[in-house]
Amino acid sequence: MLKTYRRMMVVAGSYKPQLQKALALSIIASILQGIIFALFFPLLSALVASPVNFQQAWQLLGLFGCLVFVEGLIRWQELDFSWLTSTDVAHETRLRLGEKLRHIPLQALNQRRSGDLNVVMSGNVSELVMWIGSLATLVIQTAVVPSVAVLVTLLIDWRLAVALLIFFPLAVPIYRQMRSRVKTNLRKSVNADADAASRVVEYAQGLPVLRANNQVGARSQRLQTALECQRTVQRQGQRLVSLPLITMSTLVEVGILIIIAMGALFVVQGTLSVPALLALIVIAMRFTEPIAQLVGLTSVFDLMEVGLERIEAVMNIPALPVPPVPTALTRFDIHFDQVYFRYDSHTQWALQDVSFQAPARSLTALVGPSGSGKTTISRLIGRYADVQAGAIRIGDVNIQEVDPAHLMRSISVVFQDVYLFDDTILNNIRMAKPDATDGEVEAVARAANCYDFIARLPEGYATRIGDIGGTLSGGERQRLSIARAMLKNAPIVLLDEPTSALDTESEVAVQDAINQLVVDKTVIVIAHRLSTIAAADSILVLEDGNITEQGSHRELLANRGRYTAMWEAQQQAQEWRVVA
Amino acid sequence: MTQSAFTKPPTGIWSIMAPIKGRIAGAIALGALSAATSVGSLLAIPPIAAQLLSESPDAGVIWRWLGLAVVLVAIAFTSRLAAFSVSHLAAFKLEVILRTAMAEHLAKVPLGYVVTHGSGAIKKWMQDDVQSLHAFVADTTPLIGQAYTIPALSLVVMLATDWRLAIATLGIVPLGMILIQLAMHDYAEQRDAYDRANEEINGIIIEFVQGMQVVRTFDDGSSSFARFQKSLDRFTQTLRDWNAKSQMAGRLATLLFEPLPTLLAIAAVGTWLMGQGTLTLPRLLVFLLLAPRLCGAFKPILTLSHLLNQSKAGALRIGSVLAEPVLPQPKQPEHPQDASVTLSHVTFFYSGLSDGDRTALQDVSLTIPAGTVTALVGASGAGKTTLARLIPRFWDVTEGAIAIGGVDVRQMTSETLMSWVSFVFQDTFLLHDTIRDNIKLGRPDATDQEVEAAARAAQAHDFILALPNGYDTIAGERGSRLSGGQRQRITIARAILQDNPIVVLDEATAFADPENAALIQEAIAALTRHKTLIVIAHRLPSIMNADQIAVLDRGRLVERGNHDELVAMGGVYSRLWARHQEAQNWELRGRASTTVPLRNTHA
Repeated sequence: MLKTYRRMMVVAGSYKPQLQKALALSIIASILQGIIFALFFPLLSALVASPVNFQQAWQLLGLFGCLVFVEGLIRWQELDFSWLTSTDVAHETRLRLGEKLRHIPLQALNQRRSGDLNVVMSGNVSELVMWIGSLATLVIQTAVVPSVAVLVTLLIDWRLAVALLIFFPLAVPIYRQMRSRVKTNLRKSVNADADAASRVVEYAQGLPVLRANNQVGARSQRLQTALECQRTVQRQGQRLVSLPLITMSTLVEVGILIIIAMGALFVVQGTLSVPALLALIVIAMRFTEPIAQLVGLTSVFDLMEVGLERIEAVMNIPALPVPPVPTALTRFDIHFDQVYFRYDSHTQWALQDVSFQAPARSLTALVGPSGSGKTTISRLIGRYADVQAGAIRIGDVNIQEVDPAHLMRSISVVFQDVYLFDDTILNNIRMAKPDATDGEVEAVARAANCYDFIARLPEGYATRIGDIGGTLSGGERQRLSIARAMLKNAPIVLLDEPTSALDTESEVAVQDAINQLVVDKTVIVIAHRLSTIAAADSILVLEDGNITEQGSHRELLANRGRYTAMWEAQQQAQEWRVVA
Repeated sequence: MTQSAFTKPPTGIWSIMAPIKGRIAGAIALGALSAATSVGSLLAIPPIAAQLLSESPDAGVIWRWLGLAVVLVAIAFTSRLAAFSVSHLAAFKLEVILRTAMAEHLAKVPLGYVVTHGSGAIKKWMQDDVQSLHAFVADTTPLIGQAYTIPALSLVVMLATDWRLAIATLGIVPLGMILIQLAMHDYAEQRDAYDRANEEINGIIIEFVQGMQVVRTFDDGSSSFARFQKSLDRFTQTLRDWNAKSQMAGRLATLLFEPLPTLLAIAAVGTWLMGQGTLTLPRLLVFLLLAPRLCGAFKPILTLSHLLNQSKAGALRIGSVLAEPVLPQPKQPEHPQDASVTLSHVTFFYSGLSDGDRTALQDVSLTIPAGTVTALVGASGAGKTTLARLIPRFWDVTEGAIAIGGVDVRQMTSETLMSWVSFVFQDTFLLHDTIRDNIKLGRPDATDQEVEAAARAAQAHDFILALPNGYDTIAGERGSRLSGGQRQRITIARAILQDNPIVVLDEATAFADPENAALIQEAIAALTRHKTLIVIAHRLPSIMNADQIAVLDRGRLVERGNHDELVAMGGVYSRLWARHQEAQNWELRGRASTTVPLRNTHA
């Protein structure tokens, strides 16, 4: 409970006072509500008296009316939060999440599937904010109103108050038990769901093969078994949860019966007045709705709880440490100095004792099997994450001493896959240098061999990427990304297999564009086709996170080591014919 | 064949519940019963009060009424529990029915539908969308029974007790309704604006999150953050506008539907009527007990409405999957005579994209004799993959015909067709099962010796033996332990065991694992020996020896012949060939000063 409160306050951010105010108002209104209900004691007494005491009844009704009005005003104020402030809270929460994503290490960003983050930022935020006000109010109402009522009852008849006190708090342990059962079962059903989901994926992927063997639909044993297992777990969960749930929703009715039975007994004994009993029944009836709603909204509670947790998890990712007094980069040679790096949640080193130097304006190639650490090296230069030991320096400056934004401005990256924004072609290139003129953008687009295909687009540079959908080929997208990099004109260029996903026709155009891009830059390139990097100043051969060989193409071939083996295997594979 | 769960595809949340409609009706009825008995139990209170207020209370009468109330509460409890159980169990049953129906249906629709949507989308339909129905089917249906019974029953009882007070009570309801109407007077319009803004904000969030990786390589994300912020502002403004318009009426309605105003109205009117001497206290009590329930009855339904919307969206998607037309099956299936493939005047466009220039294939005619090698060549988007996929009937041709061994593929059953054509694409598919069973999937009745022979031919035997349990090792889901090349070789072993006379091969598979390319290439050689082979070619050298090369350009077959003929022709192929050689010889050079001519590293 306290944890949820603390989390709610965290989410409310700078609107914390407003939320606190709403909660305080809710408590006051609920107390008032309890007092109003208590008015039924004197009111019914007045109406039962013979003769009926109408004067007192109308006085009480007047007070009743005034208090209802005041309670309404307070609730009205409280609803400010749900109707007005919540929109701002959602706005601020999204902005804070957005800010956070800008400042966490890319590694942390990469570990989360982008779908998850979307859900956190759009879905979870809406769910939370939509419910945060109303649920808090409901909880407060459910807790406060009965408490006040019990207090008032205590003044009328302590025996009935004790009965209420024993009975209604029962709801708490029953609710707790239900929640814990739900949670236990949730874990089981998550597993069953995951199993069924992977069977479904398997089924979908295997349909071509499964069709050939007629193992589809109801005859797909594996799928059917998983679905049945899922259903069994669901039924078990159902059996566990339904009894406490329904018991809770019937609790008030049973409680009223007990009050009537005890009250009637006391009345007959002459130790309780009839109007007091009737008032008590009317009041106890009012506990029904909040409890019933609370039960009905259990699933919403879960959603909110999960949403809070996920938002908090994102908020808690530590940001990349930024130096208090950043150093500016002036030279662009790259040094790796006994670098050790391990990815989060991995036990093995991704890089072990890696040292090398890439002089300014030199070309350094990284080769080696997949998983050997090539991409890790290129990522670490852009401070994808901080190294565990050793240092990466650009010029003489440790990159941890550099402002991350400044570091990023010094590096251009060209990957295999290109991300384009739903904006115009012009703006997609311009994002590399927001103050570039149209002329500058067009000049780099030409240099990157983009001109031909842009000219063919319906609105040229003003064409929106979203409007042409997937009609740009991989090579065309790649050339746009190279134009971006050219416009940025950063002194360091990282190339990660930039042409490996392209067909022959676009490959040549992209190669031309890259040739333009890398002129006079410090270049680090990962290329699978060794002939591409044969002219590199230095080739680093990586295996299992270690540099095992280092030198020029000629030197490495003379070594007759791993590089030579790779070179020869590739020459052979190039010769492959489908028909021998 | 199992009986299909639906006679026609469901179109909404109610029709999707057709297979369990009996149970749902039961759940609604039980929900209504529990509501009725629960309201009924309250009616025992006024007679008890009357007895207590009388000069000489009769304890016997009091206990009888109390006993009746206990019985009614017991019935309410039991029927509520039953309603809840019936609806939940029915919902679980529905989940299995729907998932099985979708699995059945997906087995009959064109494979192209499955391939283009991908296993991710299919998982979403079959798991998440089906799950999203649960909230409605299981939780809401019993409440529907309650939501209609309580107000109706309360109303009848109240009118019977005292019509004047009943009207006073009901006065609150229309007032609330009017306010809600006011709050929602341009609901549709506002909702539209909100939906649009919401869609935009979701799009921007997706772009912001997915693009972050790239954006961060430019700066600290400030450029895209500005875009994000701008559309977030727009979204929030839309929401504020909407709230500003509807908040007054909305807040009033919220306050009015609280029990207090109703109780106040009843107490006041009741006191007045008692002053007139036309109302007795027990009757007033009926109203004090029942009236707030009348107002409160709508609440749970309102709070569950957003879950209902999710359910509706899920139901629509499931309905549209089940409505996808199935691949027509022949009435009198035929069997191919041999392993030749003939395409005559094949035209194809993807349905929904038939806007002229989106034609994927246009009037393609090609004869592929049995036992020969045909390569499909062309730029990406030229139609190579589409053409190759039409042969195993991923889709049916729009015009023209494809025949295997003289028989139109549409005149064969799926099983026959699949037993004639194997295809080896880059996306490997392994069951979460033993390696042996994965290979046997090609021919379930194969002996262990045959499986092993196929694995040997696919260059997989050695690494399989090196696995902890050899052939009985479970292949990790999505291959955590096997490398891409190893997985590829297992799927090739499967195809070898299947021994279908026609093989459609994506040449890129030969290079799926750069470190072990040679092994995969040997495996492919074993698979394709003595077969009719159709290759989707990306690298020209590997198909230099093909019997025929078909060159596609924007969906048309533009050239056909062997390598030497096509190079000599000086057309599209010879240009591709020249480009290829140029690309192969690319050497990255960093310094501006180096203008050394490219040297041929092949030499």
